[in-house]
Amino acid sequence: MTISRRRFLQGTAAGALLGPTVFNHLLVRRALASPGDDRYLVVIYLDGGNDGLNTITPLDDGGATLRQAYDALRPAGVGNIALPVDVLLPIGADPGTGANLGLHPALRGIHDLHTEKGCVAFVQGCGYPNYSLSHSTAKRTWQLGRPASANQVTGWLGRHLAAAYGPSDVPGVTVDVSLAPEMRQFTTNVLSMRGVADMSFPYDAAAPGDVAAKRAAFQATCLGAVADAQAQAAFAARGGLVTLTSGESYAAVGELYESARPSWNDRYDAVNRRLGDDLREVAKVIYGVEQGVPNVTARYFQCRSPGYDTHADQGGASLNGRHGSLLAELGDSLKVFYEDLEDIGAADRVLVMVWSEFSRRPNARTGSDHGSQGPMLLIGGGVAGGVYGNHPNIAPISLASDGNTPYSQATGDPFRSTDFRDVYGSVLKQWLGVAHQDVLGLLPVDAGPASSYWTVENFDLPLFSA
Amino acid sequence: MGDASTTLSVSDVKHVMRRTGFGAHPKDLKKLLKRLGSNPTRGALADLLLAERPLFYELKPNTGNASEKNNQLVAHNNWIHELTKNKTPLRSKLVLFFHDHFATQNSVVELMPVMSAQIRRLHEQVFGNFKTFLGEMNRDPALMAMLDTPSNTSFTPNENYGRELLELFSLGEKDLAGNPNYTQNDVIQIARAFSGWGYVSSTVNFHGPVFSTHLHDTDTEHPERGPKIVFQSTGGFGPQGRSLKSLGEGAQEIDRVTEILFQHRDSDGQSTVARRLTRKLLRYFCHDAYATPGPAEIAVIDEIIAQSGFAATWELAPLYRAIFTHDVFFETAALPPFSSTTRKAVKWPVDYFVTMLRLTGVSLRTSHRIVIGGSNSDAHSHLALAGQSLLEPPSVFGWDWDTAWLASSMLLARYRMARDVIAARSGGFRPKKLIDTSLTDPGAIVDAVARSLGIDDQVSAADRQVYVDYLTDDGARTTIDLKDKDVLSTKLHGLYGLVMQSPAFLLH
Repeated sequence: MTISRRRFLQGTAAGALLGPTVFNHLLVRRALASPGDDRYLVVIYLDGGNDGLNTITPLDDGGATLRQAYDALRPAGVGNIALPVDVLLPIGADPGTGANLGLHPALRGIHDLHTEKGCVAFVQGCGYPNYSLSHSTAKRTWQLGRPASANQVTGWLGRHLAAAYGPSDVPGVTVDVSLAPEMRQFTTNVLSMRGVADMSFPYDAAAPGDVAAKRAAFQATCLGAVADAQAQAAFAARGGLVTLTSGESYAAVGELYESARPSWNDRYDAVNRRLGDDLREVAKVIYGVEQGVPNVTARYFQCRSPGYDTHADQGGASLNGRHGSLLAELGDSLKVFYEDLEDIGAADRVLVMVWSEFSRRPNARTGSDHGSQGPMLLIGGGVAGGVYGNHPNIAPISLASDGNTPYSQATGDPFRSTDFRDVYGSVLKQWLGVAHQDVLGLLPVDAGPASSYWTVENFDLPLFSA
Repeated sequence: MGDASTTLSVSDVKHVMRRTGFGAHPKDLKKLLKRLGSNPTRGALADLLLAERPLFYELKPNTGNASEKNNQLVAHNNWIHELTKNKTPLRSKLVLFFHDHFATQNSVVELMPVMSAQIRRLHEQVFGNFKTFLGEMNRDPALMAMLDTPSNTSFTPNENYGRELLELFSLGEKDLAGNPNYTQNDVIQIARAFSGWGYVSSTVNFHGPVFSTHLHDTDTEHPERGPKIVFQSTGGFGPQGRSLKSLGEGAQEIDRVTEILFQHRDSDGQSTVARRLTRKLLRYFCHDAYATPGPAEIAVIDEIIAQSGFAATWELAPLYRAIFTHDVFFETAALPPFSSTTRKAVKWPVDYFVTMLRLTGVSLRTSHRIVIGGSNSDAHSHLALAGQSLLEPPSVFGWDWDTAWLASSMLLARYRMARDVIAARSGGFRPKKLIDTSLTDPGAIVDAVARSLGIDDQVSAADRQVYVDYLTDDGARTTIDLKDKDVLSTKLHGLYGLVMQSPAFLLH
C-alpha cells in the first residue's frame, strides 16, 4: 500500500511541525518515495475551445466517409477554414475507421517530436456525455473533473495535491496571473506567477535597515489571520506567507537558469510567443528543482494559451491565420521545451497534457461555433506515442441536432468517444502512481443515471511506455 | 432583525463607505455623519448615497496615440485617475460591477471610441431601469464587436451574442435549482433575431448601431431554419413558447427578445432575470455565499426582490436601497476577533488600489499616471498584475472574484502597490497630513494610522500589538519621535505599508 506523503508526515515527528509556524523554515522535505515523486506534470489549457477538426484532420475516408464529410462540411473557398489534404502532416491511422490522419501544418513542432522521438500521444474524441456549449460550464467540467456542480470549487488536480501534500508544501505553480482552477484546493499551496522574476517580495528601497523588522511584522499579521480562521482572511494570510518565503527562493531560480543555460534561453526567445515564454518559466523551476535549490519543490504546472474562440476569421492552413498562428505557437513552444528538458535530463520524467474545453462545430466556413469533443495531447519521454481514441463521427447525417458530433460510448462503435476523465485517471494512476481506488475518489462518479455521466473508469489507457 | 429604520453605529457608517465607495476617509466620514444628523439610520444613509448622482465621467476616447493599445492604456489610466478623484464613488462601483457583467475587451473591439461609448453608457444606465439598460446594451457597438454580432448574418449565422445574452447578461445557464433556463434551439433562434446588426467605424469614430435587412435571417428567406419560436420547454411559457417576430423585424424583434427574457420564469416560478441580477449584486456588495446560494441565501434574494419591487418595475435604485438596508449587507461589517463563521469579502484590485490612493492622498502623476518614487509602474502595470486591467476583462465572463483575486502573483502586485505608495516620498505620500505627528505613544500612532486608513474598527488587538512591536523594535524604545525625519521615513512609512498589506485592508 502506498502511503501518501501527507499521511506519512502526520504520523511522524515531522507532522508535529505542520502548524502555521512551519512557514518560518520551509525546507525541502523528501517524504517517502512514491511512484510519482520524481515526476512532473505540466498541464496546458487551450483557452476558448480549440478546433479539433482542424488540429487532427482526416486525409482520406478510411472505412467510412471522413474526408468526404470534411469536404462537405468545410468547403474550400476564399477566407474559408478548409485544410487541403496536401498540406497536412501525417501522424497515422484513426483506430476506429482506419482513415489516415494529419496535423494542421502549423503543428510542425509537434510533428517533429512525433516522428523523431515518438513521444506524442494523440488522444482523439475527448469529451463527456451531455456536453455543454457554454465556455464557462465546459471549462468548469474539465477543470473540476466532473460535470460542473454549483457547490464544487476544487479542481481535479487540486484534490490530488490536497491528498498528497500538506500546508507547508508548495507542490504547484500556475504560470499566469490567476490560479489555475484545476489546481484549486484548500490544503496545500500553489503559486501563481507570470514568471519567476515576479516573485520577489517588495520592500521599500529607502529603508534597507528596516527590512527584517517589516518581514517579521508582516509574517506576524499573516500568522494571526491564519489562526483566526475567517475564510478570506486566512486565505489571504496563507498566500502572504507562501509568497514571502517562495519569493526569496524562486527569483534565484531564474538567475540560475539564465546563467547556466543561455543557449536554451535564446531558443525560447526565438519562438517569441507567450506559451514559449511561459514554458521557459516552467523549465526554470524544473531546472531549479533538479539542481536542489532550497524551497523550490514544484512538480505540477499549468500554462494557459488564450485566443482559441475562433468564431470569426479563423483562418485555414496559413501559419499567420488566427488558428494557424496559435497552433504554431503551441508546436514551436513545446518542441523547444521538450528538447530543453531532454538536455536537463528530465524529459522522461515530465508529462505535458494539452486540453481545451470543447472543439468546434464541424460545419464551418470562415469561423466556427462551439462544438463537442476534441483531441487531447500527451507529450513526454514516458509517453507511448501514437494515435488513441477514435475520430469523432462527422458524417453530416450523424451530427446531433445542434450540429455537433455526437458523444457516443457504445461498445464497438468505430466512433466511440473518450471520456476525458479516463485520460485524467490514466495520468493519475499510471503516471503519478495514485491507487485505482483513490483515483475514483478524485474523479467521483456523479449522481444520476449511470448512462448520463462517467462512462469509462478503467484508467487503463495504454498511454505510457512500460 | 434590522431594516431601513435601524440606527447605524459609526463603525457601520464606515462599513457602508467601504462597500459602496472607496474607503472611509476620515473627512468624508465626518461630513456624512454631519449630514445624517440625529437620524443615522440605514435608510437615511442609503437615500443620501442614492440621491447623489452628479454628471457621469466621460472616458475620453484618446485616439491620438501611436497604437490602439496605447489608446487603451491612456484611457485605462485616465479612468483610474478619475476614480481616485471623483465625488460619486457609488456610481463608480456600480459601473465596475456592470463592466464585469457586460464584460467587453478592447483587444477584441480594437477601437477606443467604441469602447468609451460603452463605458459612458454604463455610467448613464446604472441607476436606471434594468430592462432599458439591457435593451441599450443589445445595441451597444462594443458589445456587438466583442461577440461577433456584425458577422452574424443570414448567410453566416453566429451564435456568440445570442448565447452570451442568455447565459451571461440575463438568465444564466441554470436557475437556482440547477435546472436549465434555455435550450440550444433558443440560442439559435435568438441569434437569428440579432442577425443583421452592426455599426460603421473608422479609425477615429463610428456610428451605429445599424440594421441591414438584407443581412437579417428571416423565416421566408430560410424556411429550412424554421419559425423563430423560443422557450418551448423553459420559462413558464408552456409548450407553445413565444414567437419572436410578432411585431416585425430589426429593432422591434430584438426588443421583443428583451421583453420575453424579462417575462421568463425559473423552475420555482420566480423571475429568472430578477433573481440572477439580485444574486450577483448580493455577491458583489455582501459576500461570496451568493456564488453558490443555498436555501438561506435564496430566501434573502427573494425578500430583497419583493421589498424593492424589482421583478415588476426593473428599477435599479430601489433594488440597491433594499440591499443597503438589509441585514445581509451588514454581515461583513463584523468586528474582530473573527471566527470561522465571520463573513468577509476580498476587495477587487481596482478597489484596493483606488482606496489606497484616495486615503493616502497620493495622486497618479504625469501623463503615464504613475506613483512617483516607487517602482514607477503606471496604474495599468499595477492593476494588470493584480489581475484587473479595466477595458480588458479576461473574457466575456468577466473576472473571477473573491479568493480568486488572491493568487500569489496578484497578492504580490497588491503588496507592490502598497510599497509604491509608501515609497512615494517625492510623489505625494505625506503622512504628516494624515496623522498628528506630535504623537509619541506607539499605540496611539497605530490607532491614528488605522483611523486614517478607515479601518481602525477592523484591526485586531493582536495585530495592533504586532504594529506596536514593529514601531518600538520589540520594545527597544517606549516612545516614537515622529519629528525625527529618519524615524518618520522608516517607521511611519513602514507602518502604513504593513497596514495596507494586511488582510484587514485587503478585505472588506
